[in-house]
Amino acid sequence: MNKRPGIWFYIFLVVFVFFVMFPFIWVFLTSIKPPGEIFNNFKWFTSNPSLESYENALTNRPLVRYMMNSFIISSLTTIIAIAFASIAAYALTRLPIKFKGLILGVILAASMFPQIAIISPIYNFITAVGLRNSYMGLVIPYITISLPLAIWILATFFQKIPWELEESAKLDGATPFQTFRKVIFPLAAPGVFTTGILVFIAAWNEYLFALTINTEDTWRTVPVGISFYQSQFTIPWGDISAATVIVTIPIVILVLIFQRRIVAGLTSGSVKE
Amino acid sequence: MKLWNKKVAGATILTMSMLLGACNGTDKETTDTKDGDTSEKKVEIVYASGVDVTGATDKLIAAFEEKNPNITVKRQEMPADTGASHDQYVTTFSSQSAEIDVFDADVIWPAEFAQAQYALELDRFIEADGINMDDYFPGTVQSGNFNGRQYAMPKYTDAGLLFYRKDIVETPPKTWDELFDMASELKGKEGTEFGYLMQANQYEGLVCNAVEFIAAYGGQVVDENNEVVVNTPETVAGITKMVEFVNSDFVPSNILSFQETETNNAWVGGQSVFARNWPYMQSTSEDKEASKVAGNVGFAVLPSGDDTNAATLGGWMSMINRYSENQEAAWEFVKFMSGPEGQKISAVEGGRAPTIASLYEDEEVKEAAVLFSNEEFVATLQNAVPRPVSPIYPVISDIMQVELSKALAKDITPEEAAKNMQDKIVAAMAE
Amino acid sequence: MKFELSEKQLGYLMVAPALLLVIMITLWPVAQSFYNSLFDYRLNDPSRSERFVKSNVDLERYANDFFYLSRDLEGLAGQAPNQDVADAATKISKDIEAYHEKLLAMDGLSEQYEEVEGRLASFTAISDRELKYAEVDKDFASDYKDFLTSAEKEITTLSQNSEDEAFKTASANVAGAINSSNRAIIESNFIGLGNYSKYLQSERMWKALGNTMFFTVASVGVELVLGLLIALLINRVFMGRGLVRASVLIPWAIPTAVAAMMWAFLYDGQTGIVSHYFEQFGLIRDASVLLSTGTGGMFSVIFADVWKTTPYMALLLLAGLQTISGSLYEAAEVDGANKWQQFWKITLPMLKSAILVALLFRTLDAFRVFDLIFVLTGGGPANSTESISIYAYITLFSQQNFGAGSVLSVIVFACVAIISTLFIKFIGSDLFAGRSSR
Repeated sequence: MNKRPGIWFYIFLVVFVFFVMFPFIWVFLTSIKPPGEIFNNFKWFTSNPSLESYENALTNRPLVRYMMNSFIISSLTTIIAIAFASIAAYALTRLPIKFKGLILGVILAASMFPQIAIISPIYNFITAVGLRNSYMGLVIPYITISLPLAIWILATFFQKIPWELEESAKLDGATPFQTFRKVIFPLAAPGVFTTGILVFIAAWNEYLFALTINTEDTWRTVPVGISFYQSQFTIPWGDISAATVIVTIPIVILVLIFQRRIVAGLTSGSVKE
Repeated sequence: MKLWNKKVAGATILTMSMLLGACNGTDKETTDTKDGDTSEKKVEIVYASGVDVTGATDKLIAAFEEKNPNITVKRQEMPADTGASHDQYVTTFSSQSAEIDVFDADVIWPAEFAQAQYALELDRFIEADGINMDDYFPGTVQSGNFNGRQYAMPKYTDAGLLFYRKDIVETPPKTWDELFDMASELKGKEGTEFGYLMQANQYEGLVCNAVEFIAAYGGQVVDENNEVVVNTPETVAGITKMVEFVNSDFVPSNILSFQETETNNAWVGGQSVFARNWPYMQSTSEDKEASKVAGNVGFAVLPSGDDTNAATLGGWMSMINRYSENQEAAWEFVKFMSGPEGQKISAVEGGRAPTIASLYEDEEVKEAAVLFSNEEFVATLQNAVPRPVSPIYPVISDIMQVELSKALAKDITPEEAAKNMQDKIVAAMAE
Repeated sequence: MKFELSEKQLGYLMVAPALLLVIMITLWPVAQSFYNSLFDYRLNDPSRSERFVKSNVDLERYANDFFYLSRDLEGLAGQAPNQDVADAATKISKDIEAYHEKLLAMDGLSEQYEEVEGRLASFTAISDRELKYAEVDKDFASDYKDFLTSAEKEITTLSQNSEDEAFKTASANVAGAINSSNRAIIESNFIGLGNYSKYLQSERMWKALGNTMFFTVASVGVELVLGLLIALLINRVFMGRGLVRASVLIPWAIPTAVAAMMWAFLYDGQTGIVSHYFEQFGLIRDASVLLSTGTGGMFSVIFADVWKTTPYMALLLLAGLQTISGSLYEAAEVDGANKWQQFWKITLPMLKSAILVALLFRTLDAFRVFDLIFVLTGGGPANSTESISIYAYITLFSQQNFGAGSVLSVIVFACVAIISTLFIKFIGSDLFAGRSSR
């Protein structure tokens, strides 16, 4: 298990990562090509790289603003969704309530309907409560969309945590809420962070709701913003590639930071079977 | 444990900032309405239109605001993709929202939006302001008319054109058959790979291309009495010719995935001798930075079939939301945009073809684009063939796209395609 | 006992926020869609743009049309080329007046009509449903409609037979106005399961469903295998693990709308690098087949989806791997089990619930696939890549047929519900078990 991987492993890894990353690498290479070279040639490297596309991407549209919007919306969604989902999942796995199967089923049913079919009612709802062109206008639907996944994942994690730990906490006089906060939640950290990353990126990626609900340019999110680079008959590939590269970097950094939490240490250290 | 506390703190801060954000939002709105109520009847109207990279829209708004100091126009950008913006309008208007006052509509929308009661009829304004609709190209006026009432004002027009390489072709072909022969013969000259480019992907552009073939051979989809007349030998002849082109060896092998963008990319890359596209390709061809064919591009009317030559009518109209709370101001803006002054700005700044015949005599307009001083082009625009004007046009278009796409892929014969279209469109209209 | 009770209450309290939100924001609209699917409900047709169980008159539209109609009909008689035509027009005009009076004679209708006319005169659109619509007698509505239909036919014939251009246009306009008035009188558009029987017999629906199934099975299957391999790989300890994890996740962090555009660029038959290499390596016969043939289109969509969502699967499974205690492997090692045996005997069984959740949610998403196909192929060529969500979207938004669109959505819902139930029954029963028992 803990044998040090050999050189072949690293070679394999490099090739593998290259294949996974290839489309993205190509987008990056496209983004530094001058406009005339983007089409009609399969050359990997341009002889005169330029940052023109990056300049266009940042000046033609408020890309930084889009990123900020997306970042705030996704963060809020993640935090609130995880909070709601983890307490719900705890109650469903640990507390003696009835109709657990039914509740889980109902929650799951929420992600069985095509999203395109509920856009109109959600649009009407958000308009009615006056949240169009605001962060909350998107955060509310996003939380709802991500709750089923979050609850289900967290439930599977909470379920794996041995009862004994909880029993001893209870004996020490902890309330269920304290037990949850101090025992269960930290133990399930890999699950919580995984769910967090999944929810964050799902919110970051969402397109149709964002397009319909936030129609003002200052409230647009990244996916919608990038789609607005094109005009009726032309797609400025250079600008779009540059914008894609720019918006992907923060996500990579974020994942780099948070993936550290997805490690076995916490759980397997304390969970003795 | 510490970590968790930190996270809670973070969450609280974020929640607070979000609440603050929400408050700011409402603050802004109240001040807006205050502005509207008090000072000498200033109105703000919201104008929705697609992404415009030419800057003409902003100039248009500026000119209008200068003339009408008490009306401000706020722009709301819609997706560049026509279908996507249609769908967004449907969501907005079906909730009877008054958010948008004026909006741009593709020529194929007015009947649908009129019937759905999204749009305001403009007749009383037109009468009151004495606007002569005869000044406009008849096809464009017709597209904005439904059940005898005018719902949309023509803003600019478009029509399919045949582009050719002046360095390869001396005289452009007059008929589709000539074009077929020339494309097949000249392919390969001057580094070209293809003889002809068109739009054959399954989307709205396919209908535009098909209507040109069908009309050239004397066929029609829906006649002036609103009868479906697509199952005729003429239509079959048109579709047959189109199938021949698509399956020839001088079009790209992936022609079935070609839309305008692909056509333009291949064209400016110098890959083809001929191409069918909208007039905008004239200016992209001459853009020296991105185009390899600058200076070598000529244009002509599309070739004829057995009957005549035909170009599909494109272009955009302006309409007013039925639920707009500022109808008068909205009309002022529509009147300005579609009037000679507004259309001139669109033509000069944005290269969009006016729908008012007399503007083609204006010197500045003539200078704005080579096309505008070309009589043949102006005649093409004037006689462009509209797609069926029907409140269920999207259904008709969908049926045509599917059947034509099958015919082009040789899944069915042109005869079958014509018959299926006839049956399905008749059934859809009867529903 | 008391403690027990409060714990229970606390439990419900903890589930409540999530449950309420889900019910309010998604399940309520879903219920509405079910209701919509029972009507012939089309936004672009005023006589069907609301859900009516009884006959009604859209007074706003009716009053507006009637104003023009009575004016134009009188004018038409004056313009008529001969006496017969004039008589016909006058007769229609009189009959319509008679129907109109009968309508206004109904209970409370004349006041409501006046109010509506007042609004119309000041050019304000009416959004108050109570004012806009008036319920009328079913037989009256159908009589009036029949009459208007025949009147429209008659005037159209007059228009078509006329030589006089001015009369031709005028009468065509009157025919249009009659048609419009006809649409203002609304009969019940409740059709029960009519839409279902129509779409369950529709060839296009079955094809779309078939495409969706194929897409789901193929992409989720490949993603599961690849995702598991990747999860096992990045679970190992090696230098630069964080970086590898982050880079493996990149495909998933690129928004679908952008990724789909990107793949369209890569698959392009002329300039796309991916299709170019596929052709070079002999995987496909010609660079163009990827987006312009049915099989190629389906393959492209699946390939792009696998690229984009395998990381999601991998991440979920990776998290699942964390819950397996290392001591289990140590014990197995002592017993002399090799890696392969360890994988089958420890990893897979312990990963069961993680796999279930990952599979379940991927299947739910894949079955509802929309963005990717919409941007990459638009459902073409010749509908060979049309998924059922795409079909529903076209019906809902481009054709504004909400009744039919809702039926298609309900069909998606039903399929997904069946699949999830099977999943949970066959592989995941342990997820529910053990939770209620204690």
